[in-house]
Amino acid sequence: MNKFITKIGLVVLLLLCFSFNANAQRKKKLANKDTQEWRYDVECEGIAKQGSKLVKVWSYSKNPKFAVAQAMKNAVHGMVFKGYAGGGNGCTPFKPLVSNPSAEKDHAEFFKTFFSDGGEFRKYVTAAADGNIAPGDRLKVSKREYKIGVVVNVTTDQLRKKLEAEGIIRALNSGF
Amino acid sequence: MKKNIIVLVGVLMLTISFGFGQAKKPTIMVVPSDVWCNQNGYMLGFNNQGTIVKVPDYKRAFQENAEVLQVISQINGMMAERGFPLKNMESAIKTLESNAAEDNMRSSKDTGSGVSESPIDALKKVAKADIIMQLTWTINKTGPKKSVNFNLQGLDAYTDKQIATATGTGAPSFSAEVPVLLSEAVLSHMDNFTGSLQTHFDDMFENGREIIVRVQKWDDWDGDLESEYGDDDEELGIIIEDWLADNAVKGRFNTTDMTADMALFEQVRIPLFNDKGRAMDARRFVRGLSKMLKSEPYAIPNKLVMKGLGRATIILGGK
Repeated sequence: MNKFITKIGLVVLLLLCFSFNANAQRKKKLANKDTQEWRYDVECEGIAKQGSKLVKVWSYSKNPKFAVAQAMKNAVHGMVFKGYAGGGNGCTPFKPLVSNPSAEKDHAEFFKTFFSDGGEFRKYVTAAADGNIAPGDRLKVSKREYKIGVVVNVTTDQLRKKLEAEGIIRALNSGF
Repeated sequence: MKKNIIVLVGVLMLTISFGFGQAKKPTIMVVPSDVWCNQNGYMLGFNNQGTIVKVPDYKRAFQENAEVLQVISQINGMMAERGFPLKNMESAIKTLESNAAEDNMRSSKDTGSGVSESPIDALKKVAKADIIMQLTWTINKTGPKKSVNFNLQGLDAYTDKQIATATGTGAPSFSAEVPVLLSEAVLSHMDNFTGSLQTHFDDMFENGREIIVRVQKWDDWDGDLESEYGDDDEELGIIIEDWLADNAVKGRFNTTDMTADMALFEQVRIPLFNDKGRAMDARRFVRGLSKMLKSEPYAIPNKLVMKGLGRATIILGGK
């Protein structure tokens, strides 16, 4: 009898593990979908060192944990396709690296791999302030959704060079 | 054998495409603006028939102001990083001076004659570039609080158009030194500047290089732009316009001025490469017009004068 209960318990435990994992995967997928739908905001946080941009990325998620993880991807995505308006802290407006509106579709395969989980985008972004979130940057925007602001540093010069090398954007000196 | 020939032809074609596939690269130079020179006291004044005229004294600015060197050096560095090293104005001025000194001292071993130089050649001996990055900044002070107002304009030296810009006021600071504020200003504005410059280059590759074409005549030539040629007695001015319409990219040009003695064509879009695939500038483009005017039925001798990549003048009636 005891053996039977142990077996059942083991099966239930495994099922629970699988469901947690599946749930986590589903939330990650949702977060990725938010990025693809450009559901995030990027704002300048100050003047970074040469070749970089210090930005705060506001990501939306039901689970704050995923918003933090997704912020890195959103930041790089934002620099490539969205840019940001200027503001305080001496910030000037930043145009997206890709100016062609159809570039994302034209190079869909590259961007799919580039922005995949664990993809190459991670080379171009680091968390500022050790990824800590200021109390005012964790906002509950609805009953089940959070808006999380994470400050990250994106190496835009390196990112631009990568896009130039892939032929997605033209270099300033190309053609000369 | 056949294989070798195919490989050889392939290599040759590649060489040709690499050799001729590059457009003429414009030179760029950072120049402190007249406003900055005036505000900082780097001006030379002289009396021109009763009117005091002020011109910037760039040499003194470079010798005495460390801030201007810092800003120019930082801009040069960032542009070099983008594969576009700039001409350094301070070095260009020094080179001009040393060349002038050498030319003055030089004499032929056989005859003892000096180097030939026309008054026009002497006038042309100035530091120049195809695109001028005109730099202005002012320090705003409110009590102990300081901020930098920064303005960088990219000006086409031939069309006088502003082709790129970056301007704005940095964040005010109580403690930061001026060089730090200047460095921040350059860092925050250069991306915008290169962005607008990139837009200009993209437009150039798509619609051709924009140039200015002038037509003038020598005093002693008995014809003018209203002289009529051909079976249909067309005026010379109209014939020149037709040539431009046929040869400019998408026939794009504007006739800004047209009198009997001169014509000025602006916004003339020329292809970046000629039929042979060689890079083209204003001189090479207008050479086609010069050849047409020299040939029958016009038979007008003419002189072709150039100014950099983007300006060419034809003077009708002789060399």
